[in-house]
Amino acid sequence: MSAEAVISSEAEVHKGESARMSSFIGAIAIADLVKTTLGPKGMDKILQSVSDRNNSTITITNDGATILKAVPVENPAAKVLVEIAKTQDDTVGDGTTSVTVLCGELLREAEYLIAQHIHPMTIVSGWRQAVKIARQALESAALDNSSDPSAFEDDLLNIARTTLSSKLLNVEKDHFARLAVDAVLRLKGSGNLDYIQVIKKPGGSLSDSFLADGFVLNKSFGIGQPRRVVNAKILIANTPMDTDKIKIYGSRVRVDSMMKIAEIEEAEKQKMRNKCQRIIGHGINCFVNRQLIYNFPEQIFTDAGVVSIEHADFDGIERLAAVTGGEIASTFEHPELVSLGECALIDEIMVGEDKLIRFSGCKSGSACSVILRGASNHLLDEAERSLHDALCVLTETVKETRVVAGGGCMEMLMAQAIDEYLTNAVAMSASEDLAIETKSSGSAGKALLAVASFARALRKLPTYLADNGGYDSTELVAQLKVAHNKGFKTMGLDLFNGCIADMTGLGVKESYQSKLHVLVSAAEASEMILRVDDIIKAAPRRRDHE
Amino acid sequence: MSNKGDRQKGDSKGQDVRMSNIIAAKAVADTIRTSLGPRGMDKMIQKGEGDVLITNDGATILSQLQVFHPTAQMLVQLSKSQDIEAGDGTTGICVIAGSLLSACSELLNKGIHPTAIAEAFKLSAAKAEEVLVSCAKPVDLLDRASVLDAVNTCLSSKVVHNNADVLAPIAVDAVLSVIDPATATNVDLTDVKIVKQLGGTVDDTELVRGLVLERPAKHSAGGLSKIENAKIALIQFCVSAPKTDMENNVVVTDYTAMDRILREERKYILNICKKIKKSGCNVLLIQKSILRDAYNDLSLHFLAKLDIMVVTDIERTDVEFISRTLHLQPIAHVDSFTPEKLGSCALAEEVSVAGGSSKVVKFTGIVNMGKTITVLMRGTNKLVLDEADRSLHDALCVVRSLVKKRYLIAGGGSPEAECALKLTQWSKTLTGVKSYCARAFAEALEIIPYTLAENAGLNPISIVTELRNRHNAGDFSAGINVRQGVITDMWKEHVVQPLLVNTSEISLATECVGMILKIDDLIAVR
Repeated sequence: MSAEAVISSEAEVHKGESARMSSFIGAIAIADLVKTTLGPKGMDKILQSVSDRNNSTITITNDGATILKAVPVENPAAKVLVEIAKTQDDTVGDGTTSVTVLCGELLREAEYLIAQHIHPMTIVSGWRQAVKIARQALESAALDNSSDPSAFEDDLLNIARTTLSSKLLNVEKDHFARLAVDAVLRLKGSGNLDYIQVIKKPGGSLSDSFLADGFVLNKSFGIGQPRRVVNAKILIANTPMDTDKIKIYGSRVRVDSMMKIAEIEEAEKQKMRNKCQRIIGHGINCFVNRQLIYNFPEQIFTDAGVVSIEHADFDGIERLAAVTGGEIASTFEHPELVSLGECALIDEIMVGEDKLIRFSGCKSGSACSVILRGASNHLLDEAERSLHDALCVLTETVKETRVVAGGGCMEMLMAQAIDEYLTNAVAMSASEDLAIETKSSGSAGKALLAVASFARALRKLPTYLADNGGYDSTELVAQLKVAHNKGFKTMGLDLFNGCIADMTGLGVKESYQSKLHVLVSAAEASEMILRVDDIIKAAPRRRDHE
Repeated sequence: MSNKGDRQKGDSKGQDVRMSNIIAAKAVADTIRTSLGPRGMDKMIQKGEGDVLITNDGATILSQLQVFHPTAQMLVQLSKSQDIEAGDGTTGICVIAGSLLSACSELLNKGIHPTAIAEAFKLSAAKAEEVLVSCAKPVDLLDRASVLDAVNTCLSSKVVHNNADVLAPIAVDAVLSVIDPATATNVDLTDVKIVKQLGGTVDDTELVRGLVLERPAKHSAGGLSKIENAKIALIQFCVSAPKTDMENNVVVTDYTAMDRILREERKYILNICKKIKKSGCNVLLIQKSILRDAYNDLSLHFLAKLDIMVVTDIERTDVEFISRTLHLQPIAHVDSFTPEKLGSCALAEEVSVAGGSSKVVKFTGIVNMGKTITVLMRGTNKLVLDEADRSLHDALCVVRSLVKKRYLIAGGGSPEAECALKLTQWSKTLTGVKSYCARAFAEALEIIPYTLAENAGLNPISIVTELRNRHNAGDFSAGINVRQGVITDMWKEHVVQPLLVNTSEISLATECVGMILKIDDLIAVR
């Protein structure tokens, strides 16, 4: 009895061949959507929002994760691909396009294999062997320079440059690679990207972007207060500075004379005055509040020689608290329990037409701010995304210090290792026919086909890199294959000159962590999709009209 | 097929998207092309709500255009960025970007890879900047004549160019008086306040070394309108019946209670007024309050009786400017009303604007005046006034650009012609795609002299070729003399502009073009 008979009539069931077909189509379509963004010669996409035509917010991006997040997908397999891109983005930050494309390619290969009546589980077991071999190959090719600081810094610079070269910041990659590495090295391994703040200001050119020491807040000081504070003690607060109102709607007082009202007003003022006095009593010379600071308390602060900054956004005060080592306070009765933020200097800097406040020489010296300049907001948004990717990869590399060569080199290396394994396995099985047959119950031959398909899928990545660069991909990948076969294990694609070259010489490096993650999660995701034989779409939930 | 060379494979979709992007961006550039230069025409824009705007300012026109196409929006953004960076050249930057894009479409048709074009353009832009710097002359901010020339050049393309001889010195003096010319590297233009008053002509515009408030003093109870040796206070509290943050009711049971309340209110307000008077204050500025009445008739009456001039409804955003200018501190509570918080000036006077019906309050001879200045702008109608305001802003930006980068360069299309020449020569030293693109870049820059000539009604072909010829002969400051329709030395004609305007035009436009080039798909998302 088929499933259709027992489930709701509105639910849909796709079975066997048709289910698998729809998964393949969905996943491959997604992979094809982003594959043109791969590599230094990859193209950008405009994402145009259709829901609000009037505002028509547009995003211009090269980041796989950003594109996939924005695209509305219905196909379940396509959703899996979007998910792995997101996971890649969250864990490593870079390689989101690679992981999607590799997964799509694996499924494309699977489609052929299934057409040859190879059971999905056989394919899966073949892929698992392939991943194992590829992993070993990757591990053996990884270099670790963490013991030598200057070599490691070079590695970081190279990784940043490689990551940025596929982004919009390509043209200024040296500048931004330096900037990103400096920022990450300041973190001293803590890897907390909260300490790096990115501020976007339109105007100027990308090369005018700079790294500022300390933390920059996009706010201004209160009126009549000094524009420069040395050795600041900062109290960071989230407290209303108008009045502490009773939160009951319609509460009111009844009096019978004007003077009483005046007294109440005075009492309210007095309450605020007390609050301000308590705040000042913390021994501070700078007060930052998330909420507004009204005229009256501001004046009290001014008189007391305390600079006040109002309406700092939530994100702003949290970071400020983190970098200055302070706490966000909202009650002020116990000054001894509140830890104050400290920094050496607070001053005003002017960027473009705006004035910003800079907190420099903070307690935790790791804080810094990147101020991005550029011709338009679209450019700045994309620059921020690119820089974020670079920073993510760098912090990951600081934790997992191994690096590998880029430019499609690792994919070729892994494919080569798989090929070598295949040759050995075939030779082995020729000589030890009997032993193999008993061990793996006859499917070894078929599984080897799947192993071979994995190598083909891996070689597709350099192919797309070359295609996007407008080069003859077949020729280049063939040359690369020969080079790797001959044992030149660092050969990859030089996409600026359209030839194959030694990647170590060119300084094209990638994080080992990122590469490994691409390999593993693409294999896992494609395996997951492959194992599906039924797709059941639940009946849409009905809205009751009562 | 060769594997060398940056060729792009046939991807018809990407090709189509790119072309449509280029066409859209060029459409924007062409819209404002006719307003470039001293003989450029103005645009009349009718806004959605029926308001009419007449302007020649590229950034203003573009900000009013409601463009849908994504790349068209990018061009609008581009001119905004130029406005922020240099303030002038907002039309020029779009024209350059448009011209670069048409160069791109030809290069793309040859099958050159977009990123290769973008890279070559980037290199060319860097080279162009070198060329620009090499033909620029350093300027001293104290050399008033040179700075004035630059401002005059900027104003010559505006609607108000007839009034340039009035506005230019104002712009120069305004900026120079808010900075220290020796050390400043940037100017905060919020230090220059522009007060617009209808009536009179643009020629009546004046620079006030002091403060002008765009509102009359209160006269409702016989208030004063002129005070010498004024002591000014800016208050942020209200001179009216008390009001608590909690809702309150005064319960009145009989007639005598009502009488008492009225008396108490009088007493309360009088008390405040007396405290104000006690500090020696004789001019009172009251910040606008939205929660309650900042003043009432009673308080105005008392203040008038105490010989205090009152100006009300000061915006909160203006408080900072006023307090810096008058060197006073805003007072948020009557108890902290102390003499040291007051500012003082020689004369605070309400004057009626000549030819207009409105009145303003002027403060002059301010003691310890902050580094701020006010321009009292006049115009016969609102359209002229607004355009004059925008033009003055551009003029101020020109001076600011000179403060940021103290170099002047010749105007009249001369820098672009020089760049085109030098880049063409340079492109011959390169090989491959770079050389091709650099050459296209150089030719694209000639759009500026071409458009200048075209807008002036000259024969663009003969003018541009003659210009090219003169530059080739080494006359790097030759430019188009639009008024006489000939090529002359721009330095002698005093047609000069800040270097920053040109360098940022080229670098920003190249950046934007690079971004447009790299797009190969347009995806609709939620």
